[in-house]
Amino acid sequence: MARIELTHISKRFRKVIALRDINFQVEDMEFFVLFGPAGAGKTTILKIIAGIEFPDEGLIKINDEVVNLVEPAQRNVSMVFENYALYPHFTVYDNIASPMRSPRHKTDEATIRKEVRRVAEMLKIEHLLDRMPAQISNGQKQRVAIGRCLVRNPSVFLMDEPLAHLDAKLRHFMRAEMKGLQADFNTTTIYVTHDYMEALSLGDRIAVINKGEIEQIGSANEVYYTPANQFVARLFGEPEINIFGVDLIEKENRLKLKIPGYEHLFDLEPDVERMLLKYNVRELNLGIRGTCISYAFAKEDDDFIPGTVYSLEPIGNMSILIVDINGEYIRIVAPNDLDVELDSDIFVKFDLKKALFFDRASETFIARHNRVHYVSEAA
Amino acid sequence: MAKLVLKNLYKRYPNKRNKEQNDFAVRNFSLECDDGEFVGILGPSGCGKTTTLRMIAGLEEITAGDIFICDARVNDLHPKDRRIGLAFEDYALYPPLNVYDNIAFNLRAKGVSETNIRAEIMRIAPLLKIDDLLGNRPVSLSGGQKQRVNIARAIIRKPQLLLLDEPLSHLDGKMRQVLRTEIKRLHKEINCTTIIVTHDQLEAMSLADRIAIMQDGQLQQYGTPLEVYNNPVNEFVAGFIGEPPMNILTVIITESEGRFFFTFQDNDFRIAVPEDYYPVVRSGMTVRLGIRPTDLLISPQEKGSAAVRVAVFENLGEECRVSIKAGEEFLTLTTTDEIRYRPGDIIRLEVKAGRTYLFDPVSGDRIWGESR
Repeated sequence: MARIELTHISKRFRKVIALRDINFQVEDMEFFVLFGPAGAGKTTILKIIAGIEFPDEGLIKINDEVVNLVEPAQRNVSMVFENYALYPHFTVYDNIASPMRSPRHKTDEATIRKEVRRVAEMLKIEHLLDRMPAQISNGQKQRVAIGRCLVRNPSVFLMDEPLAHLDAKLRHFMRAEMKGLQADFNTTTIYVTHDYMEALSLGDRIAVINKGEIEQIGSANEVYYTPANQFVARLFGEPEINIFGVDLIEKENRLKLKIPGYEHLFDLEPDVERMLLKYNVRELNLGIRGTCISYAFAKEDDDFIPGTVYSLEPIGNMSILIVDINGEYIRIVAPNDLDVELDSDIFVKFDLKKALFFDRASETFIARHNRVHYVSEAA
Repeated sequence: MAKLVLKNLYKRYPNKRNKEQNDFAVRNFSLECDDGEFVGILGPSGCGKTTTLRMIAGLEEITAGDIFICDARVNDLHPKDRRIGLAFEDYALYPPLNVYDNIAFNLRAKGVSETNIRAEIMRIAPLLKIDDLLGNRPVSLSGGQKQRVNIARAIIRKPQLLLLDEPLSHLDGKMRQVLRTEIKRLHKEINCTTIIVTHDQLEAMSLADRIAIMQDGQLQQYGTPLEVYNNPVNEFVAGFIGEPPMNILTVIITESEGRFFFTFQDNDFRIAVPEDYYPVVRSGMTVRLGIRPTDLLISPQEKGSAAVRVAVFENLGEECRVSIKAGEEFLTLTTTDEIRYRPGDIIRLEVKAGRTYLFDPVSGDRIWGESR
């Protein structure tokens, strides 16, 4: 059991800045996800907590105690890597037992047996204990690697992309498995991934990392529905969120939204309008997900914006319809049996109740309708 | 523009360890691509898809079988005489040459006049959105831009057949999504018969008119994206196509009061067998049951199957996934409604009508119902 706190952590590798002023606090028993693209600095943060990398600046605290100078072995942290790193010549049992047989943590065999049984049962690998690593599947290897970390009852559990090596099918399965196990882990867990579905599914909170800096820390609902900026919005969801420039027009003392190249002025939700006035933003980007856009082949009313079908990509249970609206390519989620000619006329309607509004210059989040709903649901 | 026909194609590599034995990379592979069609060859790594492409291009000797382009047998035709445009995963641009000269390179080698080269490049460059980059060196281009130049180089000679080998694999997610759309548009503009080789089912589905799915050197199924998604012919295709992947579990058929049920490993949970399958099932039979996560619904209480407990609930933004435990395995469904479940909650399941797949547990072949 442990609380972890990082304050003002910075790290350089020669001239390259790997981390810049990283601050966060992980609560006891929390499942905390570090999420971001490759090279963002996620693994470096993990290594700094583990004690196998040293920060140039800043403090690492475990249970309010500064551990910067504490040896990795003394921190009671346990780390699972992407490649499982099992001993090939040991059975599953001996692999799981290995940390308890190390000189530092020497434990008597009776206790070892009890511990191995306990984690094997939790991970449902009891029937594999006599097998060699070569005789088990990748998913099972991953469970053994996790088991080996859990036997020591670490107070902090660090996982570096543990599912990244698995094929798509197994990854889905193991993600659900991992989620099911979470409650039993009984430790504080910090989990690194570049897969947005893993982040949303597993994290009590998610820290989005980009180029060595934290972009946002929040629950799955917060990062998905109220992303701090365009970068975060783009990382979550498939197909990627549509983000494009729009204009604000003042008419009869109300702010109206205008899509470039289309005459009609769209009404704004009052709460959105208030935020836009408050921040006095005129240069605006609209972010809208493919699921929040409808389409028609005849103009039903002024809310429908004319465009042409640029592409149609069936991907199984749905199709991605790409519509060209004055040179802006909008991705829309459509049924998988939709059949349209490329370049034919089409009309699209944005559900502005679900749209995100960003400041164009800074790309930061300004508003969405009913924002409180999404944030409070998270709490 | 050309029609491509592959007839009973084989490729054999000598086995290095056992000289008596032969390894077939491709076995009895037949395929027809219509004039102007976009065909995807899809399969996991090592399935023989690239070998097939290389045989079409003439870069690999054919062990047995025939290849016809425009009804002419090309087995013995030199690669350069096949009028094929090739773009590989690796861009292999000439670093000292700028984009313009890279694209012009092969035309110059053939002695095309500079005026004609210029005209051709000016025609192609806007299609691939590289008109602004013609003066740049490859080193200053992004991965996506390099691949665009690579494809431009492949189509500049007006090939009758365009072959793309994993053209998007090197690119990151965002760039891949954009270039995927551009390749689809390009195919419409130049209307050239195109074959794309890929291991990414999403890529094959979104680009191709028809998809040939390969495993272990053999063709498993050939059909439109919707056909292979809705009507996979075996368990391999069913499991390979679709995201999230299809649930495929071993179940036993049980009978009670004249009705059949799929009974799951832990026995306290079963789903009614659609009557369509009654002629082909019997009590005690073991089958592999396939249900796509999007075809499994949470039904209002008292309807649907027996009550089951939610094992895992995942919130993935607008989409949520609910998994229940069936023996050692999960049965997963996706929902987009706003209801949040917790582990242990009781739900009842229902399968969308006509969306149940049965497979033979030994051969993996599809077991079809009556209505087929």
